[in-house]
Amino acid sequence: MSNAATLVVFVCNWDGLSTIEAAAQKRLTFPASVKIIRVSCLSRVHTGLILKAFELDADRVTLLGCDSKNCHFGIEEELIDQNFAKAQGIMKLLGLKSERLTLVRLPHGDGAGFIKKVNQLVE
Amino acid sequence: MDNLDKEIRDTKVRLCLDCGKCTVVCPVAQYNPEFNPRLIIQKRLGGSDASTGDESIWSCFNCQMCLERCNYNVKFPDFITALRTEAVKSGTRVLCSHGGSLQAAMHMMARPDIQQKRIDWLPEDIALTDQSDTRFFVGCAPYFDVIFQDLGVKTLDGVIGALRLLNKAGIAFNLLANERCCGRDLLNQGDQEGFLALAKANLEEFNRHGVKRIITYCPECHDCLKNQYPRALGNIDIEVVNLVELLAPLLKSKKLALGPLDKKITYHDPCTLGRGFRLFEEPRELLTGMAGVKLVEMENSREKSLCCGANPWAYCNTVNRQVQEQRLEQAQATEAEVLVTACPKCQIHLKCAQKSDDCRAAGIEIQDLAGLAAASLKRR
Repeated sequence: MSNAATLVVFVCNWDGLSTIEAAAQKRLTFPASVKIIRVSCLSRVHTGLILKAFELDADRVTLLGCDSKNCHFGIEEELIDQNFAKAQGIMKLLGLKSERLTLVRLPHGDGAGFIKKVNQLVE
Repeated sequence: MDNLDKEIRDTKVRLCLDCGKCTVVCPVAQYNPEFNPRLIIQKRLGGSDASTGDESIWSCFNCQMCLERCNYNVKFPDFITALRTEAVKSGTRVLCSHGGSLQAAMHMMARPDIQQKRIDWLPEDIALTDQSDTRFFVGCAPYFDVIFQDLGVKTLDGVIGALRLLNKAGIAFNLLANERCCGRDLLNQGDQEGFLALAKANLEEFNRHGVKRIITYCPECHDCLKNQYPRALGNIDIEVVNLVELLAPLLKSKKLALGPLDKKITYHDPCTLGRGFRLFEEPRELLTGMAGVKLVEMENSREKSLCCGANPWAYCNTVNRQVQEQRLEQAQATEAEVLVTACPKCQIHLKCAQKSDDCRAAGIEIQDLAGLAAASLKRR
């Protein structure tokens, strides 16, 4: 069992997932402590889900989604930013370090970028 | 099925006469014919399996209208809590609102190793007395204001108002840096384990600081600390007093004077403060203590006050919305400029209803009692 931090990645089904699929196709690996949760769109990941991940002892949580303006559903970024900001606000009150929650946007198919980011986050 | 003998005895449900008065006055039953307090009791006492998986137990607002009307003082709200606790113990998952954000935050707050940063909002001019053995219990206001920011809710304004009033009245107090949620919402939705974790963490904090008196503002926190903690954990040896019962006598004896407020106001009695603790006059005295206030009453006030439609952040649905709508329309009918309440949950739930597209009473301003009273001090 490695000592790598548990990282929960909420990934959107479109641009977000494409980065993971690209990494898989190139046979790049990431630690087993990274848990991938696929959602239709990051705006679906409301504050409660993020906090629940922390309640279940995730060390870190990341929202991995599309490059801005490229949303598959054409949804504005506001919802994601709002949920994210609320989660950060609650974490601050609870005394949880703000670095534990991140929002990552990668270009479509950027497998190497995904691996690099994930390894950074589990250090 | 668990044995609920003790709860049945404590709540006196066997005294139920089957008269149905509880159901007649119940705001939930008014909009949801399937919710029937009388039948819920009957089913359970009948001993049959009919009450297991009874979904209707989750619709109760805990507004205590039933208890108010019952000739035999059957403690139906406590009975609902017992049924919910039993359901959760046997695996029912509570349908949390707001994505479960509040429940998640409450569970994390109970952890012994948590070190919150929850007093950053405190203005510099508020005086705290380090050596005081009195603490003001802030409650979840800092958390509410984050989660409900898009409703324009500022429950901290009420808290800050309360602190300013205490300063003005010369009452010494301090705050707790690591105060936990009182746990009443978790208790109410059947999560006894979650409630006990918070209660024990809070008690440990109180004892560690030698707290002898707690001043509450939120009526639910008041009930939780004053009634539920001793009930669950034995005598806690701490005096618990609500802000309004502390300040109203000082207004009478002129030890505290408020500024003017030239407004027509209607006051919404929170269920727990009113029917629960019979504190009907004290909040009104704080309002009329401001020169120029014209106080008008809604159709249902004092012990008949209509609930704001709050659930413990779970099972919120159209019935809640309909009751909120009814209450807001009652407020509007008084032609008051401001609807004042002394409970953060009432504020949140009524403001949420106003945000509805089809709300017919979205215009009336909703303000917090302590916030309003404290603001008047500047105009003296």
